[in-house]
Amino acid sequence: MKHHITIGIGPAVFRVGSAWRDPIDRLASLYAAYPVLPGAIADFSVRLEPVSPLRRWLRPSIFITGDHGLAEAAPMSLAHGLLAAEMGMNLQMALGWRRHLLLHASSVEKDGRVLVMTGESGSGKSTLAAQLGERGWRLMGDEFALLDLESGWIFPFPRLVSLKNSAIGVLAADVPEQRMGPLLAGTAKGDIRHLVPRSTAIDRMEAGGQPALLLFPRFGGDADIRPVGQAEVFMRLTQASTNYVALGEAGFRALTRFVQNVPAHAIDFPSGEQAIAMVEQLWAERA
Amino acid sequence: MSAALLVQALRQPASVAALDGAGWNALIAAARAERLIGTLALRIGDGPVPEPVRRIWADARREAERETRQALWEADRAAAALADWDGPVVLLKGTAYAAAGLTAGEGRFIGDLDILVPRGAMADVEQRLIAAGWEWVKQDPYDDAYYRQWMHELPPLIHRDRDRMIDVHHTILPLTARQKPDADAMLAAAVPITGKLYILSPEDRVCHAAAHMLADGDLAGGLRNLWDIHCLLADADLRKLDARARRHGIAPHVRQAQRLADALYGTGKARLTLWDRIVLRRLLARDGWGGESRKLLRSAFYIRSHWLRMPPLMLARHLLTKWRKGHRPG
Amino acid sequence: MTRLSRYCRLERDAIAACALDGMTLLYHRASGQTHMVISPVPEILDALDETRPASPADIHRHMSQRYELGDAAEAVALIGAHLAELAGLGLVRGL
Repeated sequence: MKHHITIGIGPAVFRVGSAWRDPIDRLASLYAAYPVLPGAIADFSVRLEPVSPLRRWLRPSIFITGDHGLAEAAPMSLAHGLLAAEMGMNLQMALGWRRHLLLHASSVEKDGRVLVMTGESGSGKSTLAAQLGERGWRLMGDEFALLDLESGWIFPFPRLVSLKNSAIGVLAADVPEQRMGPLLAGTAKGDIRHLVPRSTAIDRMEAGGQPALLLFPRFGGDADIRPVGQAEVFMRLTQASTNYVALGEAGFRALTRFVQNVPAHAIDFPSGEQAIAMVEQLWAERA
Repeated sequence: MSAALLVQALRQPASVAALDGAGWNALIAAARAERLIGTLALRIGDGPVPEPVRRIWADARREAERETRQALWEADRAAAALADWDGPVVLLKGTAYAAAGLTAGEGRFIGDLDILVPRGAMADVEQRLIAAGWEWVKQDPYDDAYYRQWMHELPPLIHRDRDRMIDVHHTILPLTARQKPDADAMLAAAVPITGKLYILSPEDRVCHAAAHMLADGDLAGGLRNLWDIHCLLADADLRKLDARARRHGIAPHVRQAQRLADALYGTGKARLTLWDRIVLRRLLARDGWGGESRKLLRSAFYIRSHWLRMPPLMLARHLLTKWRKGHRPG
Repeated sequence: MTRLSRYCRLERDAIAACALDGMTLLYHRASGQTHMVISPVPEILDALDETRPASPADIHRHMSQRYELGDAAEAVALIGAHLAELAGLGLVRGL
């Protein structure tokens, strides 16, 4: 493709190609601290293509595809090209990654131990992880946590954090401007701004840790903490994994081990500050 | 062109030693796009490849093992569902190759379960599958009528718990196609694999694969179909094959498939016609990112493929209905 | 679902089991599927033999030595229904 870049995020190498220059320039600038690997053999190729030849110039419209793609993926406007590239990389991981059990979860690390947070979009897991990442924790990832099939450790996938709507203001208050990407207004998920993780998250993106606590956060409602039973945790994590079935017995072994060894709680919280206090409290109390 | 790299790597695994990073990326992207990555990983092996490729091969092998496991399980379930029906369950395509342990099945992407049963037994088979948990895919009345009236299979059924599809065929080409392969003869010559599961005879396997690709298909997935044919030809008696292809009325297709398989994966000595060369160009139309190049040529094949399957008036009706529903070729 | 009369357990390494609180997970190797089952299914599976086929009544007899099963006719019918379902999933062999 005419414009392209090859970057490493955690254990994966992506080759992103685009019919337009702008998305690649933006990736290059936001991923400047990550390994940029021209000519490297990539695990996945992502392609940002015009929906039809004419649409390269006329009301440019991006079709996201690659080694793994969805035929029904909705086209995106060129103004959201950065988001399209990010979605393309996520799509490859979600559909193609087989070297870990992939959990749709955020994760942060402290003292070599990992806190994993999972929940649906809008649960606040991503914002919470980003906030903890600015307050003494190492951000391992806001979207995917990688559970190693042999060791049972969690490994990072610290891509850019994708902040949505009100989360943008919350983090912008904590973070220097040069770590924030451009505002992408009016996407299918509302306003989006990307956050570059702190350098320690990127420098140590190959370092895993033992999982010590699993939380199911939920933003909204009164503060509440309750334990979640193993059977429910197992069921919810199979739903939160895109490759549990594909990994067969290795996935079964890794997930049952995780469920049996990691204590789990559901937490409801009315504000980010309260959520952080609850997390710190549970972390201090964990067995 | 990355598809040419892929063909070269399958034909001569040692040729990959010359690849640089860009070459590997192009090869891997083409192999994924053509659903030949598992086949490629097994064919090339870990010897001559750089470390990142070894990891990709390991992923591909694991994926292929899963494909095989799932396909064999679906075949097992279909056999169980049809246990009290008299006939054999004749497996077609990928599941058959995997179940019979053929080279064509090694590392192959499989997908749906395809079985062949006598036309007169369709109702019995349908009823037993539904009793065992398969359900109609929700579709509009036009599609349903189209399948039942003109195609060579029941409308697809999906299992309600396992979410896997079964296609039950009673002949190997749509009833609208000009060629009329003799499905009863194929059923009669099928050979047992285990218990209730059967596979077509070695010659009929080639006939089926060739008919599918050249008489029915728009050549999408053609590189893999020809790899199947290349592997299947090793087990076929070429004189019997010729006689069989004539009996099914598809001798030109089978001969063309033999020439194309030879040009891509074999000796390269077969003499090619002009049409063969056009088909090869279409088959090799992929860029270094696994994307489709030569879009116009591909679109022409889409229309031609429908032309082959349906008489013109029906084609117009079909395209019109599809068009109204928002489908477009290419 | 067809009711078969007698059933066998699958060979020893066909299934990997894992007990979580209040539930048993069964990973079935041939299909790659994970099944979540609760009592009395693990107990019924335990009562089956690999080579000697057993009817629901046989299983009931075997289980009633260890468990209080209540009304016999009801329990046999329930065991029969579970076995038919397990056979449909491929988790036991029906004969």
